[in-house]
Amino acid sequence: MNDTARMRPARTGTRRRRKGACAVLGMLVVSSWGGLFQARPGAQARDPRQIVEEAQKRTDAASQRYEGLLQVFDARGRIADKRWTFERLGSYGRSKAVLRFTSPAEVKGVALLIVNHPDRASDQWMWTPAVERDRRIALQDRSTRFFGTDFSFEDLEARDVGQYDYRMLGDDEVGAAACWKIESTPRESKSSQYTRSIVWIRKDTYAVARVESYVGGEAVRRLDYSDFVQAQGIWTARRLEMADLRRGSRTRLTLDQLEYNAPMSDDAFTLQAIRRPVR
Amino acid sequence: MILLRLISWPYFRRHVLRSILTIAGIVLGVAVFVGMHTANQSVLYAFSRTVDRIAGKTELQVTAGETGFAEEVLERVQSASTVRVAVPVVEAVADTRQRGIGSLLVLGVDMTGDRSLRDYDLESGDEAIVDDPLTFIAQPDSIIVSRALADRLDLGAGSGLPLLTAEGEKRFTIRGVMKASGLASAFGGNLAIMDVYAAQKMFGRGRTFDRIDLALKSGRTIAEAQAELGALLGPGFQIDPPAGRGQQFEAILAAYSMMVDISSLFALFIGMFIIYNSFSIAVTERRAEIGILRALGATRRQIRWLFLGESAVTGLAGSLLGLGFGLLVARLIAASIGVLISDVYGVARQADEIATNPALLAAALAIGLATSVAAALIPARSAARVDPVQALQKGRHQVLSAGESRARIGVAAACGALSLACLAAPRMAPAWVGGSRAIFYLGYLLAILVALLLSPLLSLMLARALRPLLKRLRPVEGALAADSLIQAPRRTSASVAALMLSLALVVAFGGMARASYDSIIDWLETALNPDLFVMPSQNIVVRTIRFPPGMGPEIAAIDGVERVQMVRDARIVFRQTPVMVVAVEIDSLEQTARRDPVEGDAASMYRLTAAGEGLMVSDNLAQLQGLKIGELLEIPAPYGVIRLPIVGIVVDYSDQQGTILMDRQVFRKYWQDDSVNVFRVYVRRGASAAGVRQRIVERFAGERQVFVMTNAELKAYILRVTDQWFGLTSVQIAVAVLVAILGIVNTLTVSIIDRRRELGVLKAVGALRGQIRRTIWIEALSIGGIGLALGFALGAVNLHYLLQMIRYDIAGMRLDYTFPVNVALGLVPAILAAALVAAIWPAESAVRRSLVEALEYE
Repeated sequence: MNDTARMRPARTGTRRRRKGACAVLGMLVVSSWGGLFQARPGAQARDPRQIVEEAQKRTDAASQRYEGLLQVFDARGRIADKRWTFERLGSYGRSKAVLRFTSPAEVKGVALLIVNHPDRASDQWMWTPAVERDRRIALQDRSTRFFGTDFSFEDLEARDVGQYDYRMLGDDEVGAAACWKIESTPRESKSSQYTRSIVWIRKDTYAVARVESYVGGEAVRRLDYSDFVQAQGIWTARRLEMADLRRGSRTRLTLDQLEYNAPMSDDAFTLQAIRRPVR
Repeated sequence: MILLRLISWPYFRRHVLRSILTIAGIVLGVAVFVGMHTANQSVLYAFSRTVDRIAGKTELQVTAGETGFAEEVLERVQSASTVRVAVPVVEAVADTRQRGIGSLLVLGVDMTGDRSLRDYDLESGDEAIVDDPLTFIAQPDSIIVSRALADRLDLGAGSGLPLLTAEGEKRFTIRGVMKASGLASAFGGNLAIMDVYAAQKMFGRGRTFDRIDLALKSGRTIAEAQAELGALLGPGFQIDPPAGRGQQFEAILAAYSMMVDISSLFALFIGMFIIYNSFSIAVTERRAEIGILRALGATRRQIRWLFLGESAVTGLAGSLLGLGFGLLVARLIAASIGVLISDVYGVARQADEIATNPALLAAALAIGLATSVAAALIPARSAARVDPVQALQKGRHQVLSAGESRARIGVAAACGALSLACLAAPRMAPAWVGGSRAIFYLGYLLAILVALLLSPLLSLMLARALRPLLKRLRPVEGALAADSLIQAPRRTSASVAALMLSLALVVAFGGMARASYDSIIDWLETALNPDLFVMPSQNIVVRTIRFPPGMGPEIAAIDGVERVQMVRDARIVFRQTPVMVVAVEIDSLEQTARRDPVEGDAASMYRLTAAGEGLMVSDNLAQLQGLKIGELLEIPAPYGVIRLPIVGIVVDYSDQQGTILMDRQVFRKYWQDDSVNVFRVYVRRGASAAGVRQRIVERFAGERQVFVMTNAELKAYILRVTDQWFGLTSVQIAVAVLVAILGIVNTLTVSIIDRRRELGVLKAVGALRGQIRRTIWIEALSIGGIGLALGFALGAVNLHYLLQMIRYDIAGMRLDYTFPVNVALGLVPAILAAALVAAIWPAESAVRRSLVEALEYE
């Protein structure tokens, strides 16, 4: 457990348990599964929506910042590394985020601005400093791979719990942790590339442990969360590994310098802001 | 079949060379037909295939002619309910400056979404690099090339590739190599892919795209999408399947295709006359054989069918050989057409392989066969009429060419009158026959028919006219040669007709070329009068690289520059035809142009156009589309429909399909595009153009790719391109010479066979071998001379029709009629020399013929 985790005790609970945190890259993928949990902590909640809402509630923060190391393993096991800094203002459907690459040199300064909306898909723009151009990532392109990783652009979005329907599939285990296995289906089928997803939420911390996404009947991506730490009271996985089940490749994201609720200005989340040169 | 095997086959075996000559006629016709059409189709096919391969899964393409459009259009297209994916594309042709490589087609795409439409099929080693669009798009020097190109340049992933861009020579980094198939094989493998936004920057496009490629949502039809996008974008955009680009390219090439058709038609006609002549030889030579067959009970019908069967076999063999030969020459012709298209139309499309169209080959085979049989009809009829008694009498020969029939002259007179009527009243034709153009072409065909029908009579008249001259030159040989021609006009007339047709084509092409030159030079002198032209490419018709307008004042500030005019030209679709829009500062142009309008008042024409209250159109556009002064034109553009009247019609040869001239402000308003293709620079009086040129080059060195051409260089360039366009004329001259040789060899062979008794008698009474030789030579020269005279006469008529076709159907150019005296003078020695060459073998044959055999009867 790191220093940040030691700073704050567990929020609630009659028995000691770790609080769930489903913030991934701050908002990558699993943030879609966060939610407000009305039931008391530790309760044997069986309503899947309530479980997801609680998971989201526990990762709620005014802002988030971290430095990420992205490692892409291709089918032959070769690794390509990239580093970025990530800043997010707000949470879920009412958040904005800027992701800025810092290495290697050829991608340094490339930035992505994501503006999430509570009721629809996000808007995304990318800035490429060498060309001095910003470009909008069209909605049609959200299913494509995110810069050669196994994440898609859609996986970067943060969506509110209300955009999905949930169904409890039962109990399961991921690693040694007991989890709820919940199926989520987007309410507007055309708003997502995935027809459905299955999410495993740990019963002890309400942290998302795994997400498996389907297109039709085929599982196309699997995201595993590990190396959980409690940062400023929020359980956060420091390692995320996305596997593209069709390509046989995987991408690992390792979070570092994780920080929640740091002061951030709204002005830093605009097209003008991402055009500013990186120091 | 039995007769063919027993009678025809031994004859062919005995006369291999003669048989080859017979077949050569049809080989020539079919080869020219197949070669030219295949070459033309190969270039078109290469273009279509390039379009197809580049299009990938694209179902529709949104374009605004060549002008491109603002980026915002992309979001509008992406928002359409019928569209699944829409991606922007910028296309540019960039010079590699590598010997033997030439230009690359650079395709600027947005890698984020583009792979939904196109499969880049990368070599596995490059997957990691290019699969990461981040690296690819983060670095504007990123480029993917085809395996074929990488091999030609001996480069691989990570290597540098210099390319000429709007910003000067830039070194690109190859970040991926595509496998040599599919997309990578487009444009003959000379293809490179880069990020669309980097391409915008590198090729001076500002924030515009050339086109949007899109695929539809499942269950939605092309028609639905076209309707939705048409309503969404307005009439200034074309929304067509990728094949539509091929059709536009075909429309651009229409003029060239038409010339190819005319040449092919003439070649077939010429082939027909050669075959006719060859069968006349056979009938003459085998008269005794026919007599025996008839004496043994063969019917006339059987004899006729025997010769028709032989012609069919000959036609088949000749056609098959012609197909093979045509496909061989097609490759050469296609290469030259590719260069021509690149230079004339600015569309660099090389036919990397020959497109063999089975339908074309089948048609050529059928045409060759039909032509051969048709050409043999008269000789077969003559053979059937052979009198067995006369044929079996040694020493007597049947004069087949017994004189012109009155019926033929009658038909010729009727056709001539009708042809003149067609010429006099071209607009009287009813619409159901195609209007005035149908009447025009009918008149043309009738004129050719009259010439063919009258060629025996005219040959006879000319031979008679020649006789005193020949006799004066060579009393014995000259008179004998002239008599030979006079006695058998039909024998001579086939060669003469073939020669006449061939020369008529050469004369007409030559005349058209001369008139075009004169007209183009006149235009160059009056319209293209700046001292210097500043362009982003060495090729003046390449419009894919452009300058920003800010360069204008920078050039104007250079010492020695008096005036700079900014020109933006681009092809757009106007009334379903690709035409050129030329946007220029008209008020400045008025100060420098020295050209008078063909129609309209010069002062008001410039004033109204400069004020954005009118448009000027080129004379060729007015001719081709029937436009009149004052007519309101509606030109759909990306930002509205231009509705302005025609205030002037001027001579302008910027484009074969026609030009619309407008002020730059109008173009900027309706296309939202202020880029520049060419700066026209006038040098201050007393300043040196060479010095100003040097200063312009130095001013933009390392900053922009700038080519500065002097007025003389530009004119030379345009005339060189014009030369290429008329390069077809030289092919025709070669065919004419070949026809002359083939036809005259055949004619003289017939003549010698017909006159073997006469020649034998001559030898018996003491004629020297030299005299016999000279007789044959003079006969050959006479045939050449008669062919020249008739060819020039028909050529003069042909030129008139060709100029009319150019004016109304091909290029809209109003060309003055001038008989090409220099071409004619060049043809005289060429044809006479060919005739003399053709006479060598027959003359020697006549000299060596057995005297005993010739005089056996006596």
